[in-house]
Amino acid sequence: MKTQTIRSMLLKSTLLAGTFAASTLAASAQEVTIGVLVPLTGELGEFGKIVAGAVELGVAEVNAAGGTKCGMIRTVVADTGGNPEVGIREATKMIESEGAVAVVGPTSGVMVALVDLAKRTKTVIMSPYAGTITLNELGGDYVYRTVSSDLGDGAASGLWLSEKGYKRVAMLVQNEESTISPAQVAKDKLAASGIELTDYVIYNPGQPSYQAELVSVLANAPDAIYLAGGQESGVTVIKEATAGGFEGEWLFTADLAVPEIFDAVGAQYLNDRAFVEFADADSSLPEYKAFDALYQEKNGAEPGPFAANSFDMANLIALSLEKADACTGEGINAVIRDIADGGEAVSSFAAGKEAIAAGKDVNYEGASGPLAFDASGTPAGSYSIQQAKDGKWENVKFYPASAFE
Amino acid sequence: MTLLAQYALTGVVTGCFLILATIGFSLTRQVEGFLNIAHAEMLGVSAFITWGLNAVAGWPFLPSAAVAVVATAFLGLAIGRVVYDPMRRLGPAVLLITSVGVAYVMAGVMHAIIGTGIRSLDMPLATSYKAFGLRITDYQMVVVALAAATGISLALFLNRTKTGLAIRAMSSNPELAASRGIDVRQTSRATWLIASGLAGLAGVMLALIATLSTDIAFNQILQILAVAILAGLGSLYSVIAAGLIVGIAMDMSVYWIPAGYRPLIAFLVVILALLVRPQGLSGKARS
Repeated sequence: MKTQTIRSMLLKSTLLAGTFAASTLAASAQEVTIGVLVPLTGELGEFGKIVAGAVELGVAEVNAAGGTKCGMIRTVVADTGGNPEVGIREATKMIESEGAVAVVGPTSGVMVALVDLAKRTKTVIMSPYAGTITLNELGGDYVYRTVSSDLGDGAASGLWLSEKGYKRVAMLVQNEESTISPAQVAKDKLAASGIELTDYVIYNPGQPSYQAELVSVLANAPDAIYLAGGQESGVTVIKEATAGGFEGEWLFTADLAVPEIFDAVGAQYLNDRAFVEFADADSSLPEYKAFDALYQEKNGAEPGPFAANSFDMANLIALSLEKADACTGEGINAVIRDIADGGEAVSSFAAGKEAIAAGKDVNYEGASGPLAFDASGTPAGSYSIQQAKDGKWENVKFYPASAFE
Repeated sequence: MTLLAQYALTGVVTGCFLILATIGFSLTRQVEGFLNIAHAEMLGVSAFITWGLNAVAGWPFLPSAAVAVVATAFLGLAIGRVVYDPMRRLGPAVLLITSVGVAYVMAGVMHAIIGTGIRSLDMPLATSYKAFGLRITDYQMVVVALAAATGISLALFLNRTKTGLAIRAMSSNPELAASRGIDVRQTSRATWLIASGLAGLAGVMLALIATLSTDIAFNQILQILAVAILAGLGSLYSVIAAGLIVGIAMDMSVYWIPAGYRPLIAFLVVILALLVRPQGLSGKARS
């Protein structure tokens, strides 16, 4: 007990010294540091690259507008590989050695692991895609996200499966919290709509084959399979089910909402009968259109999944720094809710900076949609359903946040 | 009933894959005397060579697979000579830890070359065949046939050829084998070549049935260990029996308990079996 107190005191003083050293360093160089902590390798590596790119785009816009009153924003990027242990190590390095006032971009598992560190070191952490329901409990103070909770994904999937008129549905769910929690919500929705659930299989990823998991699913020949899995397991499951004679339709979750799926599975097996559900920006909003145009101009390509949510993180933090009393995580945390909600609507950092200079309250309307945070630091979400057509994903349905009220 | 039989049939296929993945691992363990954790990464090397030649360079599957197996065999031999041979005098524990290091290096190199994301061969979707209400795909049949062919040819090799007999002599008593004039180095090299070639074969099967990412091969190590421990030290036949037992037990368990517990069954079987037979199926204890 005693050693623990001494150790924690030592740790605290080291942290204090570190933060002090870092903040003086940042102040002298007229820079403020944001850590970009994403998976650049591993199964979610493709998403991490999109997020890092969109954050950099946001930061470049902020710096082009003259930076914040805390100075130009500098980013430091680190790869977690999706591993919480690596995430803690890299985040600690960013906060203590690099003086980061905010760390953005962690995936669900890493985000949950960082909650303690964020509160202890008074550093804001923010994720553009961590939908985990664990954050519904832990988030809200220093811990924010620009994406809705996974429960919303489950609700959207459940709504789609019910509206589609399927009579019998099977659910195949990867054994991870981030896939199981939305699946539970979707499952409840199916039960409420009187749809028969033929199988509910939770499987472990990383296997060469999923034939054993598919035996009963295929024997029951459902109208549709809800597949909540990663790309590696997902592709094998789709192939094995198709080879095993499954002729119904599919609903995939966000991890499979990538074009690579068509090459890996074979587009002819997905076209017209596969659908995918994911949290999506409302592309009809002018804020999204402006972002889309900017992104295409700078990158020459359409923004990928969660790019808008990532761009919003950079703007929220920059505007909070502009408004805050201190150039610290504590300063950001004190004003970020006001920046996201209430006041004059602005959709870019430049406009927000001007409004703040004029002494006005601002309401940052994000490229990904309204960002008003609830008690857990989570915005309400909107969702898209896309259908496989000619080897591409095409929008077929959009559920705005109001669809679930 | 048909459902249960389908689970058993799927289990046989799973078992055959496990046999292919474990047989080289067991051979190394018997002759070299340590658990070569990097064996699982050799599956990955072979799988990605197959993928590179087939999907990227556009070769047909068979030549890609043949090159992958041979290349993996020689890579294994090279690692054996360069890394493990100089360490051998330090004992099996050091060799085991060294092999973990080798696994990390191999994983890192593969990651650097291949990168993130998923890969699959340029092969048509498997075709399913049905008989007596049971379903099996052509790729699954290839796995079973290959496991059977490997078992038979390895048995013939170990019983009929001079090198095979030398390997068996080395595995049962290395000192005695050396004193009776068996060339220990030569035999060790032959073992590395064969064990790694077998890993290569399992890697080709992995590429054929699975979706590849740079970590899928290493994910198989726990099941390889389970089968190897259940088999114990001793004959090749115990690996075949252990692979089938673990495979069938894992897949049939899905009939009664949630599939999420399937990997646990492998270890449950091992624990139960070792409570009854601490020396493993083969019944031979290390002298």
